[in-house]
Amino acid sequence: MTLLERDPNAPVFWKGNMPVTSRYTFGLAGERFFRAIKDEGRILGTRCPECDITYVPATLFCERCMAELTEWVDAGEIGEVHTYTLLFEDMDGNRLPEPEIVAFVRLGDGGLVHRLGEVELDELYIGMNVEPVFKPAAERTGSILDILYFRPVD
Amino acid sequence: MGMRKVAVVGAGMTKFVRRAQETGKELSWEAVRMALDSCEMTIDDIEAVCMGTAPDAFDGLHMKAEYLSDGAGAWLKPYMRSYVGGGTGIFAPIQGWYHVASGLFDTCLVVCEEKMSSFYPHAQAAFLTIFDHTTERALKPNLLWIFALEMNRYMHTYGVRKEDIALVSVLHKRNAADHPCALLGEPDITVEDVLNSEVLAWPVQRYDVSPVSDGAVAIVLAAEHVARRITDKPVWIEGVGWCLDTAYWTNRDLCYPRYVEVAARMAYEMAGITEPRKQIDIAEPYDPFDYKALHHLEGLQLADRGQAVQLYIDGTAARTGNMPVCPSGGLLGVGNPIAAAGLMKIAELFWQLRGEAGARQVPGNPRRGVAQAWGDLMQVGTVVVMGR
Repeated sequence: MTLLERDPNAPVFWKGNMPVTSRYTFGLAGERFFRAIKDEGRILGTRCPECDITYVPATLFCERCMAELTEWVDAGEIGEVHTYTLLFEDMDGNRLPEPEIVAFVRLGDGGLVHRLGEVELDELYIGMNVEPVFKPAAERTGSILDILYFRPVD
Repeated sequence: MGMRKVAVVGAGMTKFVRRAQETGKELSWEAVRMALDSCEMTIDDIEAVCMGTAPDAFDGLHMKAEYLSDGAGAWLKPYMRSYVGGGTGIFAPIQGWYHVASGLFDTCLVVCEEKMSSFYPHAQAAFLTIFDHTTERALKPNLLWIFALEMNRYMHTYGVRKEDIALVSVLHKRNAADHPCALLGEPDITVEDVLNSEVLAWPVQRYDVSPVSDGAVAIVLAAEHVARRITDKPVWIEGVGWCLDTAYWTNRDLCYPRYVEVAARMAYEMAGITEPRKQIDIAEPYDPFDYKALHHLEGLQLADRGQAVQLYIDGTAARTGNMPVCPSGGLLGVGNPIAAAGLMKIAELFWQLRGEAGARQVPGNPRRGVAQAWGDLMQVGTVVVMGR
């Protein structure tokens, strides 16, 4: 006789959860990278002269030669759409009223994955030049979402 | 066994701190740079990388080792993470050892990282979910009270006094005062300080337990023919062992760590050690709690059951004693960033056996040491014997 047969009200499962809350530091390089976004509306990279690579977002070290990177550079105001996708459903599978555009924007030898805005779908193409649109300075918090989206540059 | 000799040729470690501003990647990179610089090697000289890091929950990232890989110097290299809980810091070098001993690679970088401060409000909460969800978790167990149960049983079985166990914490924290990377070195701490510290879960008090910490350690391993080109002071990995006891807390001997004994015997046999108490010059047993160092010394066959505390009472365990224990300062003193803390013990033996331990140097040109860690569901033993 199973437990259920003995007691029709007995649970067949045990409820539990695995609560996790984290507080992440920006790191030494991240601190400077996000301060530049927040305070100056600039996207910074770091250069490895040995490997001839500009890391965006900026990193403290070169992952190829492990050198410390001390040469900070402005990644520029214009990036290039390296690839993109159109999101038609949200995380719960609900149909979105308008597709959302997510792109990998090439800056330096790296880049950012972010949203595109102020662009018509039929104008969108790989290789398009885009620029970041920042929140008003007073509303920035030092988050990657201080960049609202990237938009086409004429 | 047809395996090649493997040496440790370089080591580096970050400071162990309560809350690092650096990311885990940055901590790993710092340790790697120090290890490479210590033996004048570059990342191009490294053929494979082994990463040891404990629960993903600490850093707050799943696939944590993959995330850390750039800091570990693993770009475009064979890379593998091992994870056996608290035992990881001694297991990762074992994994690195067989990468090289097997003949597959001539050099291997071993990196261990932990950033426990990300977990909020306290890393202890990450351990709530390692217990059986149906029989145990409803009681909200944490490691402090689980080990309080074990400590109490150990004290009861062998009649070990709490004031004597406190000697372990005192020695280790005093030793750590000479470690430039230590979080909790306390040169003047006394038994009274330990006994008067806050009771957390009787008989465990604040100073009976190691702190949660952030930090990273890296070592460089090389096959014999490469090691001899790199340094005239290679420190050989002479024996390795590891073993897992039952997953059931209730089926385990709480007074004696069989998992350590089996792992130690495996390592000793490989190293040709028949009388460990005579042949081991330095011991770095795993000491997240003071009584655990005693437990593990007994499992390592360096003391009879229930008798390890005598090594502390009669001065054998002191840095100037016949068999110094945790001259580094151990987890109790240097800190306990889980995986990094274990590898710190390997780095300590490397420095001690080369005579490079500075103010911590054990006198008398020590020739051989053993390092050990413990973890998983409190049931894994990992052991490495090193010698010159």
